[in-house]
Amino acid sequence: MGAVAVHGWTGRILCVDLTTRESRHEKIPAEFLQAYLGGRGLGVRLMRDWYRLDPFDPAMPLIFAVGPLCGTPAPTAARLSVVSRSPLTGTIYDCSAGGRFAWRLKAAGFDALVVTGKSATPVAIAITPSGTEIVDAGQLWGKTVHDAVTALAGRGSVAAIGPAGERGVLFANIMMGEGNSVGRGGLGAVMGAKGLKAVVANGDQPVVIADPERFGKARQDVMRLFRASPVIFGELGIGEYGTPALVDLMRQRRMAPTDNFRRTVFEGSGNYSGPAIRRDFHAKKDGCYGCPIQCKKSTPAGEHLPEYETVSHFGGLNGIASLASIVKSNTLCNELGMDTISAAATLSAWGEARGSFPDGEEVLRLLADIAFRQGDGELLSLGSRRVAEALGRPELSMSVKGLELPAYDPRGAYGMALAYCTSNRGGCHLRAYPISHEILRKPIATDRFSFSGKARIIAIAEDTNAAIDSLVACKFSFFGATLEEYAELLSATTGIGYSPQDLKEIGRRICLAERFYNCDNGFGVADDTLPERFFLEPGSSGEGVEIPPIDRARFDEELQKYYRIRGLTPEGMFADRDFLVKQP
Amino acid sequence: MFDQITAYTNKLVADRSALPGEIAIAAQDDVLIVDGNPALAQLAGDVLARLSCLGLVAARSSLPFADFLVARAPRKESFIIPRDTETRTFLHDIPFLRREEMGSDPASVIARLLGSRKGVVVEGVGIVASGALTIEQAYINYSSVFHSTFVKYLQDVLHDGFVLPGEAESFAAFRRDWLRPLSADGLAFRCGPLADPAVILHEITTVGRYTVERGLVDSFFGNISCRAGDVIYISQTAASLDALAGCIDPVPMDNSSTFGITASSELLAHRRIYEVSGAATILHGHPKFAVVMSMECEEVGCTVTDCWKECDRVRMLGDAPVVAGEIGAGGLAKRVPPVIAGPRRAVVYGHGVFTVGEKDFAEAFRAMVEVENWCREEYFRRVAERLKIGP
Repeated sequence: MGAVAVHGWTGRILCVDLTTRESRHEKIPAEFLQAYLGGRGLGVRLMRDWYRLDPFDPAMPLIFAVGPLCGTPAPTAARLSVVSRSPLTGTIYDCSAGGRFAWRLKAAGFDALVVTGKSATPVAIAITPSGTEIVDAGQLWGKTVHDAVTALAGRGSVAAIGPAGERGVLFANIMMGEGNSVGRGGLGAVMGAKGLKAVVANGDQPVVIADPERFGKARQDVMRLFRASPVIFGELGIGEYGTPALVDLMRQRRMAPTDNFRRTVFEGSGNYSGPAIRRDFHAKKDGCYGCPIQCKKSTPAGEHLPEYETVSHFGGLNGIASLASIVKSNTLCNELGMDTISAAATLSAWGEARGSFPDGEEVLRLLADIAFRQGDGELLSLGSRRVAEALGRPELSMSVKGLELPAYDPRGAYGMALAYCTSNRGGCHLRAYPISHEILRKPIATDRFSFSGKARIIAIAEDTNAAIDSLVACKFSFFGATLEEYAELLSATTGIGYSPQDLKEIGRRICLAERFYNCDNGFGVADDTLPERFFLEPGSSGEGVEIPPIDRARFDEELQKYYRIRGLTPEGMFADRDFLVKQP
Repeated sequence: MFDQITAYTNKLVADRSALPGEIAIAAQDDVLIVDGNPALAQLAGDVLARLSCLGLVAARSSLPFADFLVARAPRKESFIIPRDTETRTFLHDIPFLRREEMGSDPASVIARLLGSRKGVVVEGVGIVASGALTIEQAYINYSSVFHSTFVKYLQDVLHDGFVLPGEAESFAAFRRDWLRPLSADGLAFRCGPLADPAVILHEITTVGRYTVERGLVDSFFGNISCRAGDVIYISQTAASLDALAGCIDPVPMDNSSTFGITASSELLAHRRIYEVSGAATILHGHPKFAVVMSMECEEVGCTVTDCWKECDRVRMLGDAPVVAGEIGAGGLAKRVPPVIAGPRRAVVYGHGVFTVGEKDFAEAFRAMVEVENWCREEYFRRVAERLKIGP
């Protein structure tokens, strides 16, 4: 093991084995930290010996990893990534979430918490500067996220699962105490399978910045770019309206998924637009700890209001125009600890299969059934792919690699179409986030109806975002700032010179490691594709905008370009079986 | 991608920021593509192959200002810091590479510099700029460096005079041969009030193109809008003023819809200007001499250190008030509206010019021409006065 850097990282992992109820500290080799940064990258590296395990194998690690900027005043950097293997998709999986928990974990002296094993009875892990304790959580088992967080709040910042995670719902979340989600891939179910109800962190050690003056200047540069960005601090941006600011835009671009992606315009979407939410629920600014953007919104009473993906999927995707109903669905998912995108998309696929989409009241009943795995919820808890297969209609699952597609119809943005398929965690919009340039014109506009150049753009963006997820910063920062400013923040924090190009190369290493894990677990070109609907059926054309089916030949051509850029075979595999062992 | 390479090569020639025949553009999809001047194309390809970027422009600037800035810089310096808002906000600084620092593998050295910044000045070669996602982005970054080095050199000459052999002659040639008279003569504007949306969109597109064709602004430096009733029609963020068709958002004045999230970052300023001035049109651009002159503050004993943001004084450039304020939510939208209603024009420190029209774009366009012409004349007057050189 090499020397551990003094600044930015703690150089230590907390390892907790729930089977033996033992915990220990391990040093992290400095070269790991410098080569993978933290967060997603560090977690992916730490998974190297474990990625083949079944997600519910007790030996499967569940990794909570912070980044070198966590604990500093770097904008949007009080975040962590949770990494493991997804029970929903079978892929390597990570998810980034904000909140005090990340900061408290690092302040306890750790860059990562690695949980393995399985407790015979429900437990919580309590981490303090003076030690780690595994405490009985039997009285919390079955409680909602809110109740569990409230019960543990006196011990520190909480990450907890709800009933859905306890019962193995394949899209169960881990919820941060302030309401942020570790969502999509079902890592809440991994946590539940370990008998782990919650983790509480209560560290108080400050992070020392190597060059405070350089850091301060870089921070000013970031904030200036935030102020210059119409998406972030513009009067119609996410700072004002949250991500539902996108509702009107997606409607106008005719790419709002409706009726399980059969259509791309929902006439009732104005009911849940950003201005409508502000008007009807008196939305106030809310957000992650330490974040200046404050893109989350809540009611004056503190109820978290839904984000864009949630309003769109509990809205148009299921043909529901009632904002009140959508807000209830969102709150229920948060309480039960379930991913809103996958829950709503699974209900939508199920609804199409049976011939009618659920209405608002039925959605609420079904969500509860899913979380408790009862009635129709037993099947629905498995996610849309397994539901559609069980119903003999596999084509109705609007997912890639089993992960339900979010609220950007790929027929309206061809980079998004490609990125859904190359994403290492399945149909996710955030891996390459082409909506940024195809729709929001940041940092530059690209033609959303063209594949030209998109393979390279997606590869670069995947690398960039992998680095961002490893710092760990919020991707919304990059509607304004760039890696230039964040490389400065990182260099100033650690005292080690990083350039944007360095960060992109680190990101590439992370993406390829993830891809290698997936390939080794049987994923290949056949998995890198969209549901047939997008190649066969048009979206909702009109108002001078045509939404034709995606040209499959052109899509395949661009996918092959992506493989060549990534150094993969035409089957999307690694020609070099030793690729992984050559990496740090 | 060859069509894009051709298009942006032509733009570099048309906007006169690069010398014809001394332009190369490289792009990489799954293969590397280069086109243009053979030597520069070789360099562009070699640099781009080392970067995680899609596009790269390498071209010899049409003016020697960037090279002069390098030669004038102290030997220990490795970058220049223009004071204009573009640099301050987006570029931060501009690294340069001296002739003697290029070594045997200049592409490697340039790639290292471009690994940290969007553009670099390579002495004796030109400006090399990358674009992470598109060729257009590389073109924009090239233009940003050209704009920033132009502004800084003019400022430096005004303050420090000529210090290198040949500078005075080049400066005179620049004034005599490169600069062109600015005017609105011969341009056709639709008479207001403008009410038909289709007419408004067409007129915005036309006037945006005029600003570029007349050399008033560079293509993507600015924004333009027209108010009709309760709707502001405004150019989108990151849109080129000479290619606005399909890039104009109709935004309700009452914020009842958010699809204007893609509108210009100066939407808030436009809205407030409309609210206080009764104007029907707004034109905003970054004409270079106005940018230079906006930073020529002669206040003595001033304690403000962040002039772009914190200065609360209103200075005058001719009949145009000058105020501080950063882009977007950075203060510009608070300081411009109170001063623009009367003179129908305002200059923002280090940034650019806002002008308004009561009924249509003719007044706004002419006002911008007047501001820039006044600043140009004033600049050369001050240079002559301080350096004791003739016109």
